[in-house]
Amino acid sequence: MKPLIATAVFAILMMFAALTVKEKKSFTHFAAILMLGLVGLNVWELADYNRLLASAQASPDLFGKMLRVDNYALWFNVLMSSCSFFYILLVGRSIEKVGVHVGEYYALHFFILCGVFLLSTYNNLLILFLGIEILSIPQYILSGSDKRNLKSSEASLKYFLMGAFSTGILLMGIVLLYGAMGTFDIHGFNFYATGTLNIMGVVGVLFMLVALGFKVSAAPMHFWTPDVYDGSPTPFTAFMATIVKVSVFFAFMRLFMEGFANLDPYWKVTVLGTITVLTLLIGNITAVYQQSVKRMLAYSSIAQAGFMMFVVIGSNAMAMKGMIIYAVAYTLATVGIFGVLLKLKDYTYDGFNGLAKKHPFLALIASICLMSLAGIPLTAGFFAKWFVIAAALEQPGTFWLVIFALVMAAVSLYYYFKVIMAMYFKTGEPELITPVTTMDKVVMAIIGSAVIVFGIAPDMLLAWI
Amino acid sequence: MSLHDIIFWILSLWAIVCAIFVVISRNPVNSVLFLIATFFAISGHYILMNAQFLAIVNIIVYAGAIMVLFLFVIMLMNLNTDTEPQKSRLVHFAALISAGSLLLVVLSAFRKAELTQIPVTDAGDIGLIKVLGKTLFDHYVLPFELSSVLFLAAMVGAMVIGRKEVVEEKSTK
Amino acid sequence: MTQLVYLVPLFPLIGFLLNGLFWKSMPKKLAGIIGSTAILASFAVSLGIFFEVKNGAAAGQGIVHLFDFITVGNFKIPFAFMVDQLSAMFLLIITGIGFLIHLYSTSYMHDDEGFTKYFAYLNLFVFFMLLLVLGANYVVMFIGWEGVGLASYLLIGFWYKNKEYTNASKKAFVMNRIGDLGFLIGMMLTVYHFGTLSYNDFFAQLQGGIGAQTQNGYMIGSGMTNAIAICFFIGAMGKSAQIPLYTWLPDAMAGPTPVSALIHAATMVTAGIYMIARSNALFNLAPMAQNMIAIIGLATVLLAASIALKQNDIKKVLAYSTVSQLGYMFLALGVGAYVGSLFHVMTHAFFKALLFLGSGSVIHAMSGEQDMRKMGGLGKYMPITKFTFLIGCLAISGFPFFSGFFSKDEILAAAYAKNPMFYYLGLLGAMMTTFYMFRAYFYTFTGNFRGTEEQKHHVHESPATMTIPLIILAILSLVGGLVGLPEVFSHHHLLNEYLSPVVQNFDIHHLDHTMELTLMGIASAIVLIMMYVARVITRKEQFGEAKGLAKVLENKWYVDEIYDFLIVRPLAWKARILNNIVEQKGIDGGVNGLGQLVQWGSTRLKNLQSGQVGSYLFAMVIGIIIIFAIGIFGLLYM
Repeated sequence: MKPLIATAVFAILMMFAALTVKEKKSFTHFAAILMLGLVGLNVWELADYNRLLASAQASPDLFGKMLRVDNYALWFNVLMSSCSFFYILLVGRSIEKVGVHVGEYYALHFFILCGVFLLSTYNNLLILFLGIEILSIPQYILSGSDKRNLKSSEASLKYFLMGAFSTGILLMGIVLLYGAMGTFDIHGFNFYATGTLNIMGVVGVLFMLVALGFKVSAAPMHFWTPDVYDGSPTPFTAFMATIVKVSVFFAFMRLFMEGFANLDPYWKVTVLGTITVLTLLIGNITAVYQQSVKRMLAYSSIAQAGFMMFVVIGSNAMAMKGMIIYAVAYTLATVGIFGVLLKLKDYTYDGFNGLAKKHPFLALIASICLMSLAGIPLTAGFFAKWFVIAAALEQPGTFWLVIFALVMAAVSLYYYFKVIMAMYFKTGEPELITPVTTMDKVVMAIIGSAVIVFGIAPDMLLAWI
Repeated sequence: MSLHDIIFWILSLWAIVCAIFVVISRNPVNSVLFLIATFFAISGHYILMNAQFLAIVNIIVYAGAIMVLFLFVIMLMNLNTDTEPQKSRLVHFAALISAGSLLLVVLSAFRKAELTQIPVTDAGDIGLIKVLGKTLFDHYVLPFELSSVLFLAAMVGAMVIGRKEVVEEKSTK
Repeated sequence: MTQLVYLVPLFPLIGFLLNGLFWKSMPKKLAGIIGSTAILASFAVSLGIFFEVKNGAAAGQGIVHLFDFITVGNFKIPFAFMVDQLSAMFLLIITGIGFLIHLYSTSYMHDDEGFTKYFAYLNLFVFFMLLLVLGANYVVMFIGWEGVGLASYLLIGFWYKNKEYTNASKKAFVMNRIGDLGFLIGMMLTVYHFGTLSYNDFFAQLQGGIGAQTQNGYMIGSGMTNAIAICFFIGAMGKSAQIPLYTWLPDAMAGPTPVSALIHAATMVTAGIYMIARSNALFNLAPMAQNMIAIIGLATVLLAASIALKQNDIKKVLAYSTVSQLGYMFLALGVGAYVGSLFHVMTHAFFKALLFLGSGSVIHAMSGEQDMRKMGGLGKYMPITKFTFLIGCLAISGFPFFSGFFSKDEILAAAYAKNPMFYYLGLLGAMMTTFYMFRAYFYTFTGNFRGTEEQKHHVHESPATMTIPLIILAILSLVGGLVGLPEVFSHHHLLNEYLSPVVQNFDIHHLDHTMELTLMGIASAIVLIMMYVARVITRKEQFGEAKGLAKVLENKWYVDEIYDFLIVRPLAWKARILNNIVEQKGIDGGVNGLGQLVQWGSTRLKNLQSGQVGSYLFAMVIGIIIIFAIGIFGLLYM
């Protein structure tokens, strides 16, 4: 509860800061301090909960079962706020360059984190809806915040229009579910209450599936993703593609695991599997033909979403672990690669030519992150894929799905290694737009080593599960 | 068929027909007017369900405030039929087909669905302001407060989008 | 000593980190010393382990648990090493030959600007290779498996400024990945059915044979074991360069010659053999897979040997000979002669490393010239190289009492026992082997010098750091066969006895002695005859435009072209279709809301921004309808 309140308060603090602070740099420092505070609050909350748990006083249900705040969700929040902290440290200077309202940009980030925390702890469809909206509206704004750039405005408008459409669908789903079940509480759903299957509820499930699929950019609801990710200011793309996306996946998984647990597993695999196959196919195949690394990363985020769909398919204890590892592995690696991308002037593959010669450190971090995204062993990405696939395999009839995913993972190697090839085996004069400071190096080193450490001992991430 | 049922059907039909006209009418002003009519029909439903407060608020806020804003925007921007992009017949056709098939698929599902009657608890006074307020600040206090966060975020966003970037221009000069 | 096994991969890792992190500031001399010492230290530890293992320690006893890697419920994958006879043998080969090659490289690569980087990569490669053979489960093996692929990719493309070389490295990587996919699927199947990936667990479950219950409650059937075995074999196919995935290996000769010696002759390519020998319990239950291995192995022997007949690049000859010798090893695996196969791995490591290093010495002397047509008469100038190379040729041809003789003989005898046809075809391969090896030898070392005057002036014997490894390897090639004397000569097949706890060998004793001696006699006679034929032909052969079959051979049976035509181009074509039509017209444009269709109807829409969003939404709605249709109709008819 403390972190949730804190996000809103910190957002307001950031706005007040915008009134008084003149130096742009101070915003980043202030935001980083607040974010660190948020991490601290989350850790405090986790410790507090476990203290109460030891004396058997703790109850995860808050606000009349509106929220369910347990160890798992709290641990996820700790990880996500930590990732956000590193994100701010790494891309803060680029955020300052987007426009004049730096304070407001950070405020919007805090609002998004409010949504993230709601999505990890919701126990009620109302909260889910509010969480998704609190998460989305700041994103519409952030993607259009570079007002001098037409592409940014276009991205914002597109995202907003399509987002509104998906919100409508989400509401429709919630309404149908409420009509069928008579409750918003996700633990109160029973699709066989009358003995036979509740069809209206199932239609509601499908609507929700589509709406959530839109938010995580699963095909065929992914159309907004390349345009929006490509058009948005790059630092914000990094945030949208990582923390926001995995949080929605977290909510997505909890909905299917806890809310829709008693639906027929074959049916779930069929429907979710269709989406997964489409997502993997479109994401990977299209990523191969991109000229710009930023746009490639947009498609790669679709492809990664295909893999994360496996946690939804799995919806079991293994998937819970996979969710955490995938979230961290994917977020760290993507933030890392965006951190490198932001330093470069040219976002095409050619812009990476010869980076290893001129800035070997940047190239090394980028390579580690890309290898993690590709799922090479000894990086966190390998275990992320391992866990989610293992989770999915526990469901019936997922074998060919997994084979297909592996083939697609092999395809993904092509476009990830194309960047590595450009950095190491081609010659060129990559130009930096911002110098690499010591702070950048430290953060990148932390991210790079974290990717490798979690690739060797992923169990470290599962401490609180 | 009781009076209650008859009113329900009339209101429903009214709402649906008006909603269709919102979409198909060429003049945006007409669309807005039909939308207001739809809201009235929905308010009628609220009253039917004994939620008088919601009914009134619905009319005041949506039909009154928001729709007037809409009209202002439409008139200020001079969005009349001439400037509206002409969509080709094919687009209409495609839209109709896709919407129709969506309807068909969903209908085919509902055909098999048995509508379960949900027992309505304390239906009598749920719509009254006093009871509504109590529920809102008791059981639903979290969603209520979160809505304020949502609006705050939207307001910040509107400010970011709407404000001119004066400082930037000065500094670049 | 067994408990210290983690030191073995640790030393190369440290070497890699030192050379890799400080490659800018590291003096060349120090880099060479660090790189070589790391491997030497590993070799010392391996030697200790080997003697300990040799004098005891039954199979499966030597599991060294380092830390828990992944724990999922009751499914555990520890990061553990397995120290037994098989892995100890490979440790010796890898670190021993690896050390010699490191030593050799210190002079061979001396003038290269990437010297430090080179040693870093080389150490990295050894590290992963050690991980591969030491792992106590398939996951650790797979990490090593991928790692050697990566290291080999880096080393093949070491001279990355040459476009052709980087292409070769890419080709190697992709071919390997195709194989890896098979391996990965095999692993998935194993987890699915057996619930484990650790060797001991897995083999213990397989002990029950066909019909037994697995831990996950499945019944072991031949379909299941064959499927897993074939998947594993596909993995081995990629790493060990078998038909159809062999084409990367000859191209991999783009790397520096010592790399070819280490990776593409002595170690990495034997990973597939190791994997199959390690999983012998599985393959013994998969007769179909075994047959497939034998046939593919044999086909590879013949195809690669026939290509080698007409190659003019000295390294290409050796490359194809490697592919062909690997084919023998697979043939042995396929007929169940695991020890024979491992025996050949060992002797092959000796003489192929020797041959490659010898060719490296020649190339070094000729200032980078690899074409045999421009060599000749080099024996006069470089006696040590000539002599050691000759020993290598004799060994690989299976000249009596050289190492290759015993190992190849064991394989051929086992093949004869299984199916005489295998034997005859294998013999044909051996004939070709002798021919092309001696052809290379005669072209290079005898006759008149055919190069430029400048080159002639420059030709010299290589320095001691290069010749010493050659001499050591020559001695090993000479006597290496003594560990596996056939039954006719001795009742102690040392290697067989040594490996017996880990490998259930196919019984080859039912060949009677007369028969076996006859087979040996035939083989020896053929070697001698072919040597003579090679001598005669090399004297006469003119380097003109090749015709007919010779041309086909020179062009490697056009396999690359066929692959290009059958696989690469259709894929590229499909990719283009996907990109141009499905993506641009289909998704971006067409589904991009009936974009194309709409354009056809109305050009105005093109000017509209919202047109795009509308079409996105339209595509989404179509998608939603499909999902709904699947969801709802799937439900109603389920």
